[in-house]
Amino acid sequence: MTEQGGVGGSAPRASTDPGGTEPGRPPFGKVIIQAIIQGNSVVVTVAAFAAAIVIGGLLIAFTDPVVLHAWSQFTAAPGNAFAQAWDSAAGAYAAMFEGAIINPHTVASALQYNSISAAFQTGSVSAIFDPLSETAVNATPLIFAGLSVALAFRAGLFNIGGTSQFIGGALLATWLGFGVPLPLVLHAIVVLIGAFAGGAAIGWVVGALKAWTGAHEVIVTIMLNYVMIYLLSWLLGTSAMQRPGRADLITPFIDGNAQLPHLAGPSLRINASFLIALAAAAGVWWLLQRSTIGFEFRSVGANPRAARTAGMSVTGSWVLVMTIAGGLAGLAASAVVQGTDHTLTFQSYGTYGIDAITVALLGRARPLGTVLAALLFGALHAGGVAMQGLTQTPVDIVTVIQALIVMFIAAPPLVRAMFRLRGARAAGPEQALAKGWNG
Amino acid sequence: MRQSVRAAAAISVLALLAAGCGTKSAAGGGGSSSPSPKSGASAFTACMVTDTGGIDDRSFNASSWQGVQQAEGNGITGKYLQSTSPSDYTPNINQFLGQKCGIIVTVGFLMGDATQTAAKGHPSQKFAIVDFTYPKPLKNVDALLFNTVQDGFLGGYLAAGMSKTHKVATFGGQKLPTVTIYMDGFWDGVQYYNAKHHTNVKVLGWNEKTQNGNFTGDFTNQSKGQQLTQTFISEGADIVFPVAGNVGLGAAKAVQQADQSGQNVNMLWVDTDGCVSAPQYCKYFISSVTKGIQTAVKTAVTAAHNGSFKGGNYVGTLTNGGVGLAPFHDFASKVPASLKAELNQVKTGIENGSIKTATKSPV
Amino acid sequence: MKLELRGITKRFGSLVANDHIDLTVAPGQIHALLGENGAGKTTLMNVLYGLTRPDEGEILLDGQAREFRSPADAIGAGIGMVHQHFMLVPVFTVTENVTLGVERTRWPGLLDRRRARREVRELSQRYGLNVNPDAYVENLPVGVQQRVEIIKALLREANVLILDEPTAVLTPGETEDLFRIMRELKAGGRSIIFISHKLREVQAIADTITVIRRGSVVGQRPPTATGSELASLMVGRPVELRVHKEPARPGAVVLDADGLTVPDDQGNPAVKDLSLQVHAGEIVGIAGVQGNGQTELCEALVGLRPVGAGRLRLDGDDISRQTTRQRLAGGMGYIPEDRTEDGLVGDFPVADNIILDVYHRAPYARGIALDLGQVDSTAVSRVSEFDIRTTSVQAPTSTLSGGNQQKVILAREIGRDLRVLVASQPTRGLDVGSIEFVHRRIVEQRDQGVAVLIISSELDEIYALADRIAVMYEGRITGIRPPTVPVAELGLLMTGADGGPAGEPAGTEAPAGTEAQQLYVPQPAEQEAPPAPPGDGHD
Repeated sequence: MTEQGGVGGSAPRASTDPGGTEPGRPPFGKVIIQAIIQGNSVVVTVAAFAAAIVIGGLLIAFTDPVVLHAWSQFTAAPGNAFAQAWDSAAGAYAAMFEGAIINPHTVASALQYNSISAAFQTGSVSAIFDPLSETAVNATPLIFAGLSVALAFRAGLFNIGGTSQFIGGALLATWLGFGVPLPLVLHAIVVLIGAFAGGAAIGWVVGALKAWTGAHEVIVTIMLNYVMIYLLSWLLGTSAMQRPGRADLITPFIDGNAQLPHLAGPSLRINASFLIALAAAAGVWWLLQRSTIGFEFRSVGANPRAARTAGMSVTGSWVLVMTIAGGLAGLAASAVVQGTDHTLTFQSYGTYGIDAITVALLGRARPLGTVLAALLFGALHAGGVAMQGLTQTPVDIVTVIQALIVMFIAAPPLVRAMFRLRGARAAGPEQALAKGWNG
Repeated sequence: MRQSVRAAAAISVLALLAAGCGTKSAAGGGGSSSPSPKSGASAFTACMVTDTGGIDDRSFNASSWQGVQQAEGNGITGKYLQSTSPSDYTPNINQFLGQKCGIIVTVGFLMGDATQTAAKGHPSQKFAIVDFTYPKPLKNVDALLFNTVQDGFLGGYLAAGMSKTHKVATFGGQKLPTVTIYMDGFWDGVQYYNAKHHTNVKVLGWNEKTQNGNFTGDFTNQSKGQQLTQTFISEGADIVFPVAGNVGLGAAKAVQQADQSGQNVNMLWVDTDGCVSAPQYCKYFISSVTKGIQTAVKTAVTAAHNGSFKGGNYVGTLTNGGVGLAPFHDFASKVPASLKAELNQVKTGIENGSIKTATKSPV
Repeated sequence: MKLELRGITKRFGSLVANDHIDLTVAPGQIHALLGENGAGKTTLMNVLYGLTRPDEGEILLDGQAREFRSPADAIGAGIGMVHQHFMLVPVFTVTENVTLGVERTRWPGLLDRRRARREVRELSQRYGLNVNPDAYVENLPVGVQQRVEIIKALLREANVLILDEPTAVLTPGETEDLFRIMRELKAGGRSIIFISHKLREVQAIADTITVIRRGSVVGQRPPTATGSELASLMVGRPVELRVHKEPARPGAVVLDADGLTVPDDQGNPAVKDLSLQVHAGEIVGIAGVQGNGQTELCEALVGLRPVGAGRLRLDGDDISRQTTRQRLAGGMGYIPEDRTEDGLVGDFPVADNIILDVYHRAPYARGIALDLGQVDSTAVSRVSEFDIRTTSVQAPTSTLSGGNQQKVILAREIGRDLRVLVASQPTRGLDVGSIEFVHRRIVEQRDQGVAVLIISSELDEIYALADRIAVMYEGRITGIRPPTVPVAELGLLMTGADGGPAGEPAGTEAPAGTEAQQLYVPQPAEQEAPPAPPGDGHD
């Protein structure tokens, strides 16, 4: 908005839009992400999901050899070709639903018992809830890691480093889990804190490097991911971490005391970590919306110059937010190490760090949105296992659907065009003002 | 905002519901829990859980799946589930536990824990695990391990005998026991050749004594394999033995480039017969250091089907044909008869125990 | 060439930017388009220049209806436009810049530099533009760059020249030069549409003044019309054009800059050995052309930019090394130059912006917990106290008009107990009503004993507010004068000349007493777009 110099600038273009109230020109990448997080209506999100499901269905159908064969006979039996395609996609999605939400057959078999206690004893009841349990278990690390990305993003930082922070948390948590004998309850809490601290330490490094040297957090987090992956491999090969009697890279099991308790009996994998994740989401929400620290984070994220002018320490916020974000990603490791696997391998970090970005974007960097997005991804993943197990549809289709959802959300104009929605941006300024996404 | 996301989630659940209901009417018929046309009611299903490498890793997942496929027919059908992260192992096994599989084959040592837990919880379910063994054998698990130090030893001896530059090289994908056991054998084989022929053939990339060497870091990034192999070649190695799955293709590319620029460089392939799994590079493969995952898995599946399943640990050796050198193919005429004869002697020596094959990896 | 606009209407959504505007520009006429920011002047000119298609209406040239689908069409028809932001390539020479797109070539397609240079020189001489065809644009002063833009239009044979807020970036001296050139152009038979909101300039140069308000033409006046009349037309109601203030009763020194040197982003000194004292109960105005270190000075005062050398004292305490937060806590208030970039978080609700620099203190915070109820009630009371027009305190601040946004900042800064108020361009881009309000509040602070430092490139504002005027040039204070100083003398000081006591009137009347000098109308924040529909500000 400066007028000095007076060369350059794009006055005529901007001047054609009387509703353009946006000041300055933030970097392009940030614009895109802001657009993803703020610019989409519910309708776009739902439409994106629907579009992804439809395209995923086409992929399922037309990679199925049975369907392809039916279509090669299209002229002879066109009805059959369509029926086969429909059966293939619908069957896969049905299996996905059974694996993620509820399987009617488990309900039916539980109803065969004439007493409730008998149904419980045979495990038929828990079988009913197994899909939901799996969804929650799959979602738990994504909630933590997604919150990590969302929190950092609200302070204007793009945390690609979920992987390194996960590993930091996992290493400390696992070591505390098997190496330090402690009584029940206390041990689990100490390990939980360890997971947070381990991740927070890595996050702090990122924040400190950005604050003190100006290093871009995206570069730093990506590089730290490599560093931590190799550090993990190396440490798991040392006598301090490696399970005795094993030559591969795996730690001893953590103590029973350090494990998080199951919530619904041993046959369901859902455990206390899920509740901790929900509590973390509530905590992040409180931090962002109800605390002075969150106020600073949001100010720094929305307009660092104004935040600085108002006397806030922008660099201090960066360090703090990355520390907390790292801790949250570390808690994702707790979900895996304390909740389900009870051990750590050189591959335990999986793809949580990357999926978390998608989850946070889909959840619009809001805690509740992140939880819901993580549950959606957890459901897709849990359903994907059933889908592949039952129909041999490659589990990769789940990844494709996830990617398509994000792609459609990242391309609102495309979605709007597909569904003939009139974009808020194309409308007059009144609509833009009335929209009001201030969450 | 919150309401909107909630609505989004609700609608997505509806969408899933719609998909679920849709099947009922469309797939219709028997109401079978499995819409797959392949699975019949009485069929014996061999269910395989891959590790994160997936079914196309040109390595143990692929070999295991080939074993399952070879066992198919005669009432046996195969299906698989792919793990995308270690956290998938348990749910994937659980998924198959709920499907009345004749046998559940898990691939890779990383699934050792999950398989053990499942096997103890379901004593009547038959399992097989590839590349792993239990200190206390389990009755319902066929643990299939391969003593590849033995054929690695043969490979090292062969490489030492074929090297003109008196330098050979090996490298791994990651420092894992199933990888380093090959490299141990290779290193030992070279040392044995040196002792016998009073030569000084050097091994680049691994040392059995210190257990240190070169690794590319994963089993997928071919360019790293190519880079590392180029380094070895520039250091004078003329035979390279990559123990790194698909990364070996990068090594083959480097060898091809060296060959095209007039250098005489060749290599050994690993796990499978390279002239079958990567035929485009067959002319550079002196031989391949293989392990018989396919056969072992096929045997386990067939045994579970026909009732001869015993459980316990199986170790593939030179003697039982579980490991061994592949045919020489293009090099059949180039490997001297004397060296072939020596290889046979060494093989006999390993089999009868007169030649010790040391390895720090568990066998 | 006679230019006629008939019934031009342009809507953006439900906002009518131009409502059946009729305008006739006779050949050889300087026609001023006067209006507040957001009145629709720029949209109208964009329609004329082919940047925007009108929804209704037609453009006639010498009685012939024309349709402009792009600026190329408009240029082809003989219309030229000099934007507020110049469209020049800094590393090219003047000749290269003006021939960009209409390159003079000779067989077989080579650039004919000699011909291009000759043409530029001829135009320059004919209209007294005084531009060296071979100078690199980046080395030229802003006023000369503007002339390059004019040459660019002339080279494209423009008969109607649109000058959009041309004086916004000029010193008083440069403005005089521009007016001289405009008269030469007029004498050469060309028509000029002169867009401005500065009454004094419009009165000085225009043959006819058309006033636009809220997208409609509200009147046409000769240049002899009084300032009050024009201002009332512009705003739509009688306007109070004077700041009522008592003589200052300065107290002790509050803000004391002593030999201050402040580096810019490249490490070069932007403020050089500057010493200035501001007393309690007085307003010191810093005048000067933008880019002479004012921004860096402000940032150094508030602690956003480290002080290179020298001392900065607040009530005698050295605050040179204090953080911004410490200085704010010590009683410093700051109204930044760029309110949307530095003053407000646009996405935040009004309430959050009102507590943006006190959120961490009681009563808004207990520990780290925000007391949202307290925040809300404070915001509600400030909104009514400062007459901030917003639908609610939870409305995003970016939806407010510029004037109301500035009031949010004012409510925040003045809402605290201040010792010193630093206000940089406090009324830039605001409508007349908001300017009155802001000025009144600033004078109120002075009268309560606050030391006030105003930095403004708007001379009218400096005259209206300041008890003492300091002129800044190239990082130095070139002189401190009483508010009775003539414009010409300030103009000299602004170009670095060691302006002695006002010697020659230099054709510019002394300001004191004459009504024109008391008129101050804002300089727009940007040539583009009003920050909100024009209705917002004053209904």
